[in-house]
Amino acid sequence: MGARPEGHGVITFEGVTKRYPGGTVAVDDLNLEVPDGQTMVLVGPSGCGKTTTLRMINRLIDPSSGRILLDGQDIQQSDPPTLRRGIGYVIQQAGLFPHRTIEDNIGTVPLLIGWGKSKARDRARELMRLVGLDDSLARRYPYQLSGGQQQRVGVARALAADPPVLLMDEPFSAVDPIVRATLQDELLRLQAELHKTIVLVTHDVEEAIKVGDQVAIFRPHGRVAQVDSPERLLTAPADSYVESFLGFDRGIRRLSFLAASGLSLDDTAVISASLPAWEAAEQARRTGEPWLLVTGADQKPRGWVAADELRPLPREATAGDAQLRPYGHTFGVSTDSLRAALDATLLSPAGRAVGVDDQGRVVGVTSYERLGAAVEAGGPAAGPAGAAGAAGEAGEAGAAPAAEASHTGTA
Amino acid sequence: MRFLSYAWDWLKVPAQWHGSGGIPVRILEQLYYTGLSLLIAALIAIPLGILIGHTGRGAVLVVNLANAWRAIPTLGLLTLLAVTLGFSALAWLIPLVVLGIPPILVNTYEGIAGVEPELKDAARGMGMTSWQQVRKVEVPVAMPLIVLGLRTGAIFVVATATIAAYIGLGGLGRYIIDGLATDNYGEVAGGALFVVLLALAVQAIFVGVRRLAVPAGLRQQARQT
Amino acid sequence: MDWQQVPTLVWESAKLGILPALFGLIISVPLGILCARWKWFYPPVLSGASVLYAIPSLALFVVLIPYTGLTDTTVIIPLTLFSLCVLIPNVVDGLRSVPEPVRQAATAMGFGQWRRLAQVELPISVPIVIAGLRVAVVSSISLATLGQLIGVSSLGYLLIDGYQRAFLTEILVGGGLIIALAVVCDLLLVLVRRMLTPWRPPRRRREQPEAVGDPVPALAGGTP
Repeated sequence: MGARPEGHGVITFEGVTKRYPGGTVAVDDLNLEVPDGQTMVLVGPSGCGKTTTLRMINRLIDPSSGRILLDGQDIQQSDPPTLRRGIGYVIQQAGLFPHRTIEDNIGTVPLLIGWGKSKARDRARELMRLVGLDDSLARRYPYQLSGGQQQRVGVARALAADPPVLLMDEPFSAVDPIVRATLQDELLRLQAELHKTIVLVTHDVEEAIKVGDQVAIFRPHGRVAQVDSPERLLTAPADSYVESFLGFDRGIRRLSFLAASGLSLDDTAVISASLPAWEAAEQARRTGEPWLLVTGADQKPRGWVAADELRPLPREATAGDAQLRPYGHTFGVSTDSLRAALDATLLSPAGRAVGVDDQGRVVGVTSYERLGAAVEAGGPAAGPAGAAGAAGEAGEAGAAPAAEASHTGTA
Repeated sequence: MRFLSYAWDWLKVPAQWHGSGGIPVRILEQLYYTGLSLLIAALIAIPLGILIGHTGRGAVLVVNLANAWRAIPTLGLLTLLAVTLGFSALAWLIPLVVLGIPPILVNTYEGIAGVEPELKDAARGMGMTSWQQVRKVEVPVAMPLIVLGLRTGAIFVVATATIAAYIGLGGLGRYIIDGLATDNYGEVAGGALFVVLLALAVQAIFVGVRRLAVPAGLRQQARQT
Repeated sequence: MDWQQVPTLVWESAKLGILPALFGLIISVPLGILCARWKWFYPPVLSGASVLYAIPSLALFVVLIPYTGLTDTTVIIPLTLFSLCVLIPNVVDGLRSVPEPVRQAATAMGFGQWRRLAQVELPISVPIVIAGLRVAVVSSISLATLGQLIGVSSLGYLLIDGYQRAFLTEILVGGGLIIALAVVCDLLLVLVRRMLTPWRPPRRRREQPEAVGDPVPALAGGTP
């Protein structure tokens, strides 16, 4: 496992249509490219053709017209079982074989392609560790595992033969929201390590935005409205359908993609607890700040002190002796997004949030003005059908995901 | 076909068709034993099945009955009763009725117990009394299984009556038993032929009964299993 | 009463009970697979089997006499046909009991049709098929006693001899042994099932051991 030669997982749809007898068109002239080593999420309302599209990749369904290429080869040329052994497949209800142990379930494809039993079992244990399952579960049977655990086994099973491509059909819809969030995080972690080409189908647009590198939004009846990175979707939806599909508060959600490191923070309002109170009061008068943030010797935040309350203090007192108000939520300057910073500011009684570094030491504080400036610098979010050229690079906030070439699907 | 030629040889003898041991008489005897036993069995088993199915009490008994019954050999029951009671009207009626009850009872119970709770709820919600509920909802819905129980019961009774010839009963079994005793295979074959025809006829009758007694919608549903 | 004969008689009864079920299984599995795969095939096969099932076994034994004489085979063939009536629906139900996600997952992983059948669907069907086997074996043991009437030896001998000599004890012993044999075989099959299916969740409450529903009635297994 680990780095693979590039390019083995590119999937290309060329003019693919799926028509059922009786006239229903499930997929309509689809042209889509799934880039190698990335997660492409297919999302849309029920009946929009996203699952059909997914199942055409491993030939569980064959298209009525058009062709699908895997790694440059037309998949029609491979016999289905052989093709499928090279593609991982995860479904909503896991579909674990009830009559086999967990390790034998995971080792199914390796055994199928001819590995020996002990090699397959070793591989199974390896994968169990990768997906976060305890070794003691290896000899158990599926009925003994919880829903979340079964899903992990499903993922491990799909990865067993190290296929370049992984297909996932609503993999997390059947578990409760807390487990779902954990599994989504696990997927991101796995992907960061394995770089598989993943095609994931979901009806949950939040999930799409969270896990996808590219998201394809489907219209009803099998046409694609827009294919783009999550950030670009939120910034510049192609039309009103996409916009309403993304849901309200798109503007705020877009801020998740702008890094907090782009914020310029104020450190003049930050003082050490050991600073004499009268000096602190002076500083407050000079800078015009009504509140000052007091930090300890370790530079970690201790609380807010009101300037008014500093002045009456005796000469020998330090800032740390004054009554301190709770400093509220902090945000990580190098790790969090603007959205987190905004959230922390909103929740802070002082209207200011404390930005800290990786060790928790104070870097500075925000204010609504500074937040406003950073948001503007991130570039305006365009309304629908008006993909402004400015949407894209996040200005000073360079940590946003690298912009892909914007691609609007056939509309 | 050898079997049929044996049977034919015996059948074509006109003497077979007359007299108290003649074919028509035997057939009537068989029908009489079967009909009476089935009627009594049904009169006992159907109400009992409805009661147990509706109230749920005694269900465990019924369920275990189904399994236990398979293991009991008919011949054992017949010979046991014959030896203890001697040959009399009871000696043949009891085993026939007793063997007819389980299939009718079990199927009636399953039919009633299997009525969906939602239907029972709806009936109660509409203000039906318990008795009305049973009569208007549960029994009609359970009809396919009740008829099936009757059909199975009939088949069992026909078969048992045939064997009962061994302990002295009349009917078509008489030919088989007597023929075996006298090494007259023609007679055996003739008797067996009629038994087979009778069994098939009984099946056909019940297909007709089913058509009459079971509402069309339920018939379709039952077929899909 | 001649006790020395009893072991032989028990062995005969066991043979006549188990062999039909076994042969029935061998026929039912391929037939059942076809019925499960081709839906149009199932109703006629089932109807054919139920027609046979309705015919009293004594009559069937007798019909075969010109062809197979007064041997074990004369008894085994009809009992095998009766067992089909239970086993074919059980094979079909067993295959249908495989959850759809499991079947889909197997196909998606690259199992061909036959491999999927052999490695996934049939193993999962085992509990239901064994339930059918239990019915078939128990019924066959009971029905085989009728063979005694045409001279095919089994524990039925004790019943007939007891009747002829008006010897109640012999009848009771015969009947008791037949039932005991049936119970033992039933329990053995349960043991076999437990060994073959360690993967099943422990049963909390069992209403009835998967007795087959429509169209085979609750007391299936052949007509006496």
